[in-house]
Amino acid sequence: MPDLTTRIGNLTMRSPVMLASGTVGYGPEYEGIIDFGVTGAIVTKTITLKLREGNAPPRLVETHGGLLNAIGLENVGLERFLAEKLREAARLGVPVVASVAGTSPEEFGQLAAAVGERDEVAAIELNISCPNVERPRNPVWSDPAAVTEIVSAARAATSKTLSLKLSPNTSDILSVAEAAERAGADALTVANTLPGMRIDIKRRRPALGNTTGGLSGAALMPVNLALVWKVAGHVSIPVIGSGGLADTGDALEFLAAGAAAVQVGTALFANPAAPAEIVKGLETYMEENNLASMDELIGMAREERRICTETT
Amino acid sequence: MTKASVSPTCYLFTFEADPEFPTPRSGQFVNVAVSDDLTLRRPFSIAGIPAPGRFDLLVEMRGKGTRALAEKPIGSAVGVMGPLGNEFTLPEPGDVSLLVAGGIGTAGLRLLAQELRLGGHRIRTLVGARTSEGLLHHVLPSQAGDEEPSLEVATDDGSEGFHGTVTGLLKRALGEPDAPARVYCCGPPAMIAAVAGIAAKAGVPCEALLEEMMACGVGACRGCVVATRSGYKAVCSDGPVFDTSELVLEELVRA
Ligand SMILES: Cc1cc2nc3c(=O)[nH]c(=O)nc-3n(C[C@H](O)[C@H](O)[C@H](O)COP(=O)(O)OP(=O)(O)OC[C@H]3O[C@@H](n4cnc5c(N)ncnc54)[C@H](O)[C@@H]3O)c2cc1C
Ligand SMILES: Cc1cc2nc3c(=O)[nH]c(=O)nc-3n(C[C@H](O)[C@H](O)[C@H](O)COP(=O)(O)O)c2cc1C
Ligand code: FES
Repeated sequence: MPDLTTRIGNLTMRSPVMLASGTVGYGPEYEGIIDFGVTGAIVTKTITLKLREGNAPPRLVETHGGLLNAIGLENVGLERFLAEKLREAARLGVPVVASVAGTSPEEFGQLAAAVGERDEVAAIELNISCPNVERPRNPVWSDPAAVTEIVSAARAATSKTLSLKLSPNTSDILSVAEAAERAGADALTVANTLPGMRIDIKRRRPALGNTTGGLSGAALMPVNLALVWKVAGHVSIPVIGSGGLADTGDALEFLAAGAAAVQVGTALFANPAAPAEIVKGLETYMEENNLASMDELIGMAREERRICTETT
Repeated sequence: MTKASVSPTCYLFTFEADPEFPTPRSGQFVNVAVSDDLTLRRPFSIAGIPAPGRFDLLVEMRGKGTRALAEKPIGSAVGVMGPLGNEFTLPEPGDVSLLVAGGIGTAGLRLLAQELRLGGHRIRTLVGARTSEGLLHHVLPSQAGDEEPSLEVATDDGSEGFHGTVTGLLKRALGEPDAPARVYCCGPPAMIAAVAGIAAKAGVPCEALLEEMMACGVGACRGCVVATRSGYKAVCSDGPVFDTSELVLEELVRA
C-alpha cells in the first residue's frame, strides 16, 4: 500500500489532497457530502478581523471551462470564527488550515496570533491574493517588500506552519516567493484566481455585481501549473498547488511539477466526490508505478529530479 | 429519468431516486450535474412527487445546461444533489392559500400545490406568463371537483385569460370576501417584488421562492446571496424560500 502521508512544515496530512479556501466554507456545510476521511486538510474561508458582508450579487458567473466569482471575502469575522466555526470544523476529524487576510502587516500579525494559539488550527494560510477586495494601485501580491512585512509579522506572531497564498496576477512571482521564504514562510500556496469579467448582454451590464471577479476552474489549471513549476524550481520550501484541479490526472501534473500537495476547489461544485476519487487515483498510480511514498512522486517531471534518478 | 414536453420551451422530467434520497418537501431543490462540460451544476425546484421514490422537475430551456439535460437519453442516470434548502411554511387548517406563479415559476409551486391539496387545504392559484404559450397552469394538480373557480390565468399580451400581469389578478383576489390568509409566489424578480408589495399592503403573510446563480448549493461558497433586512443570506441554504417582509425588495430586481 503506497503511503500518501504528506508533511508541510508541522502539518501532517493523510493525503496530499486539500480543500481550497472559500470553496468549502468552514467545513460542516459539506458534512456527509465530501469524504473528509481521506482529505489532507480543509482550508477555511478566509477570515478577516471584522466580519465582512461581501459584494453585491450577482457573485457568480460561469464561463467556458471555469467560473468567475466575486464573493468579496464574506466571512463571519475573527471573533465568531474562534467562538463557533473553528470548533465545528475541528469536529470533522480532518486538519483545519485557517486562512486569514489583513489590511496591514499588523492585522496579519494579529490574525495569525489569534488563530495560531488555538489547538484546532493545524496551519495558517495567509491570503494576500484575493482579487475581489479593494486594493491600492500597487497590490501587495506583487510587492516583495510588502510581502516581507506581512510574512515577518505573521512569523513573529505564531510558531504554527505558515503558507503564503500567491496570486497568479503578477509578472514577477519569483521575487514574491523569495521574499516570503526569506521572511519565514514554511510553504507557498500557488496560486489564487486570475481577474476576469463577463458582460450580461441582456441587461447591458457586467454580469458580476462587482464588475470583475476571479477566474477559477479548468481554464486556470495550465496557468497555475506553470507557476508551480516556476516557483518550485526556485524556492526550497514546499509548494501547494491550486488551480482548476478536477481529477487524478490534474493532481499528478501538479505533483510532477513539484507541488508537495494540491488543493481542490471549484471542482467540488460539480463533483464533491473529486477529493476521494483523486486520493484513490493517486494510490492506484503509485501502486502501478512502484512508488512507495510521496517523495518519489513530487517533482517527477523536473529535469533536476530526472538527472538525480538517472544517476542513482 | 423520463421526460415529457409540456410547452414549446419546457419539459417535465421524472426521476427515479436512489433509495437513500430523502422525501423532498415543497420549496426544496436539487443541484443537478447536467453536463460534464460545464463547471457548475444547475439548481431546479422539486416540482412534484408522482409516486414514492420519484420526483419531478419542470425545466425551461434557458441555455446550455438546461438543453444538455433535455438532450440526455431517456433512462440516463443523472447526478443529483439534494433535496437542498428550506421549505414553505404550511398554512393553518381552514385558511385559504393563494399561489401566484409567473412563467417557469410554476415549477417552484407545483409540489406545494400537491402537498396542500393532499392536506385538504383550500387553495387558489394565479398563473401568469408573457403569452399563452408560456402558461404552465395545465401541469398543476387537477382542479376538477373544486366548487369555486380556483384557477385564473393572465397573459401580458392578452392571448389567454386576464390581459395584464398576474399582479392585477392578485389585487382583485385579495380584495374579495374569503380572501386568502397566505400568499406563496415564484417567478421573475419583478413579479416577486410586486406581489410582495401588494401582500404587505394587504397585511397578508407572503413567501417567495427565489432564484440565484449557484455553485455549491450547500451554503459554503456564499455565491448565491440575496439582500435581506438582516444582511446577505444564501438562497441555497437560508432559502430558497423567504418571507418577503425579510427581503430588501429594491435590490431584488436587477438594473
Ligand atoms: C432554487 C432554484 C430553483 C430553480 N428552479 C427551477 C425550476 O424548477 N425550473 C427551471 O426551469 N429553472 C429553475 N431554476 C433556474 C435554473 O437553475 C436556470 O434556468 C438554469 O440554471 C439555467 O441553466 P442554463 O445552463 O440552461 O443557462 P445558462 O446558459 O447558464 O444561462 C442562461 C440564462 O439563465 C440565467 N441563469 C443561469 N443560472 C441561473 C440560476 N441558477 N437562476 C436563475 N437564472 C439563472 C443566466 O443569467 C442567463 O441569463 C431555479 C433556480 C434556483 C436557484
Ligand atoms: C467561490 C470561491 C471563493 C473563494 N474564496 C477564497 C477565499 O476566501 N480565500 C482564498 O484564499 N481563496 C479563495 N478562492 C480561491 C480558491 O481557494 C482557489 O485558490 C482558486 O479558486 C483556484 O483553484 P480552483 O480552480 O481549484 O478553484 C475562492 C474560489 C472560489 C471559486
Ligand atoms: S451556492 Fe454556494 S452558498 Fe449558495
